[in-house]
Amino acid sequence: MEFIKTHKLFSFYSLLVILILFVAIFAPYLAPQDPYDGNMRNVLQTPSAEHLLGTDKLGRDTLSRIIAGTQVSLFMTICLVILLAIVGVVVGIASGYFGGMVEVILMRLADMMLSFPGVVLAIAIAGILGGSIANTIIALLIVGWAKYARLVRSLVIKLRNNDFIIAAQVNGTKTINILQRHILPNILPMVVITGAMDIGTMMMEIAGLSFLGFGAQPPTPEWGLMLNEGRQYIQTAPWLMIYPGMAIFIVVAIFNLWGDALRDVLDPRQE
Amino acid sequence: MLFKWKKLLAAVAATGILLTGCGGENGGGSTKGGDPNVLKVGVTNFADTLEPTQNYFGWVVMRYGLGECLTKFDEKMNIQPWLAESWSVSDDHLTWTFKIRDNVKFSNGDALTADAVKQSIERAFAKNARAATFFEYVSIDADGQNLIIQTTKPLPGMPGYLADPLFIIVDVAAETAGRDFSKEGPICTGPYTVESFVKERAVMKRNENYWDGAVPYQTVEIPSIDDPNTRAMALQAGDVDVAVNIAAGDIEIFKGNDKFNVDEISSLRVVLARLNQNPDHILSDANVRAALISGCDRETYNDILLKGTFIPGKAPVPPSLDYGFNQLTDPNAYNPERAKQLLAEAGWSDSDGDGILDKDGRNLTLDFVVYNSRAELPLYAEAVQADLKKLGFDIKINTVDYNLIDNMGIKGEYDLLISNITTANTGDPEVFLRWYWKTNVDGNNPQNGSGYSNPQYDAVLEQLSMEFDKTKRRDLIIELQQILLNDGASLFFGYPQTNIINAKYVSGVKMYPSDYYWITNLIKPAN
Repeated sequence: MEFIKTHKLFSFYSLLVILILFVAIFAPYLAPQDPYDGNMRNVLQTPSAEHLLGTDKLGRDTLSRIIAGTQVSLFMTICLVILLAIVGVVVGIASGYFGGMVEVILMRLADMMLSFPGVVLAIAIAGILGGSIANTIIALLIVGWAKYARLVRSLVIKLRNNDFIIAAQVNGTKTINILQRHILPNILPMVVITGAMDIGTMMMEIAGLSFLGFGAQPPTPEWGLMLNEGRQYIQTAPWLMIYPGMAIFIVVAIFNLWGDALRDVLDPRQE
Repeated sequence: MLFKWKKLLAAVAATGILLTGCGGENGGGSTKGGDPNVLKVGVTNFADTLEPTQNYFGWVVMRYGLGECLTKFDEKMNIQPWLAESWSVSDDHLTWTFKIRDNVKFSNGDALTADAVKQSIERAFAKNARAATFFEYVSIDADGQNLIIQTTKPLPGMPGYLADPLFIIVDVAAETAGRDFSKEGPICTGPYTVESFVKERAVMKRNENYWDGAVPYQTVEIPSIDDPNTRAMALQAGDVDVAVNIAAGDIEIFKGNDKFNVDEISSLRVVLARLNQNPDHILSDANVRAALISGCDRETYNDILLKGTFIPGKAPVPPSLDYGFNQLTDPNAYNPERAKQLLAEAGWSDSDGDGILDKDGRNLTLDFVVYNSRAELPLYAEAVQADLKKLGFDIKINTVDYNLIDNMGIKGEYDLLISNITTANTGDPEVFLRWYWKTNVDGNNPQNGSGYSNPQYDAVLEQLSMEFDKTKRRDLIIELQQILLNDGASLFFGYPQTNIINAKYVSGVKMYPSDYYWITNLIKPAN
């Protein structure tokens, strides 16, 4: 209770995030209708009591697809962010703690990745791999890991020369234990903050790739893909673009605000 | 924290402005446009160059008002004189004489002689193997303005073959003198000539030497706007004066607007899915093909999903051509119960309970290759995917670039491959029926990459190729279609309407069923 009182905003945003997660996890039960199977006799219906957000080009219920899309989009995003963090931590620790040739090679590689415009490179990679959910994640992973690796490396370099690390080394602690007990817990908060703040951006990028046809493939109810499908009916059935767009907007906004709030809570500088 | 809320508010406000901004433009249409010297036409262009013998690029050369053939089709698909003013065939049906107009000049001022025509046709044969799939000749001779073509067997379709854009008449002498047609564009006889061409945008200039009446516009700008909705919006906004093939979803906007003319006709096209029947492909089993076809509710696709802009499919040749559409029977009309039964008989069952049928450890998964520069194609594919899922098919839609489609079709790299094909590019469906279903032996009929082969079909086709009598030809074509339907050779989705829409300050815009003649010198400012 004390925590909620001192961190009102964070608690509020967390509540919203939990709500989104709830929708994502229980999407199959929450969707009023089958998001994949529509009645082709009822295509492009305007929003009504039966179909709160209308129906799409194959007569599928837009609301159900948006709810099902929460699961797809969020699952992809969280997978991506976790993978980014793992790759970033491994590469960052390897180059930061051990230094030498390992560091040189990995960091020059990171420089290369950082010097490309990310989305363009992701489009190229996804284009070569072919459109699918897994390939989208791979493409964005290849583009995004460098930022995390850089961050972790700088944190590790700062830590490496601290007395408690040197003491552990002098005591003959195994390297793996030093990394686990002393390095990892100290860098984790920053990685978590960065990851949380990235969720919104990554969600946008995934939706962007899907919109361009490089991500989720039909009939997957993915928001970016739904936007692209709705684009063809922008003048005659605008709800097909407006509602998936709003879904992206709301979820991204909530995750961004939550990420900011999380930083305020965790960031040691503010203490 | 306050500043974040402000940011959020600002973002919401900005989105609102954006949305209303779009809303404002929707209804209005345009007030600008109508430059009497410049015509702007929004098209879809698939050609990388304007070399008429490369792939199907000749179509574009003709559509852009650049190239002309010896003959052409009118709005009822009757063959009419064009660069040839008349023609005749000898009594043994082996010698054709075409009389070339003597008032025609190429755009560079050179006179059009029978010899120039001869060289141009020989050039087409030398450069594109497709030429020989139309006809084979013993000799082509030029005698003054008479072009004489000798063939080994009677070829009733000859005047129609020469209307195909592959046989656009180009000035071979200009090429010999150093002009690179694929870089600088060909020298032809049409009302406009190339000023510049890249795939995305072509600019044409008036042909000062044009033979058939005045050419109204100094310049024709032809942007290629591949996305159908963008094309519709460009027309609404006045960025183009004319646009071709507006999608089903948008056409109502123009029909109800008195600033635009809509010319919509039944095309000669069919949208079909080729079914790969080569050994080792799942669809080599005729029962699975029959189940697949009967599982697709084609009436709903066309009447509802495409809002009646397509006629529901059944046979290879659309009902707009009189080849017995109504007397053909489709054994695989929509019947999901029968489809289920056929699959069960063929040994497919869902043994692992994942909702997808399987047999001998192989899932009923099919790769459906689609391109989306035509708005209806992905829609058909997704509708099929949804319908067949109920039967236990797992259809994987693979969207590829249009340029890859032709080659994938030839190589058979698909289970289903969607195509939008003209059925009568030479005036009747003979060539169409030959290209896509005649037995392909070692690549001698490359367009049939599906592996379909039926000796009976080949025999009737052979008969058709030598039959001059119109009634008998019709009967043979009906017989061919019925064989394809009985074999479940392909999945015929529907027959598109095709349209061309123009702002009313332009007149003379007309869509022809044959799809070759978009920009003509009949298009001019309305007043």
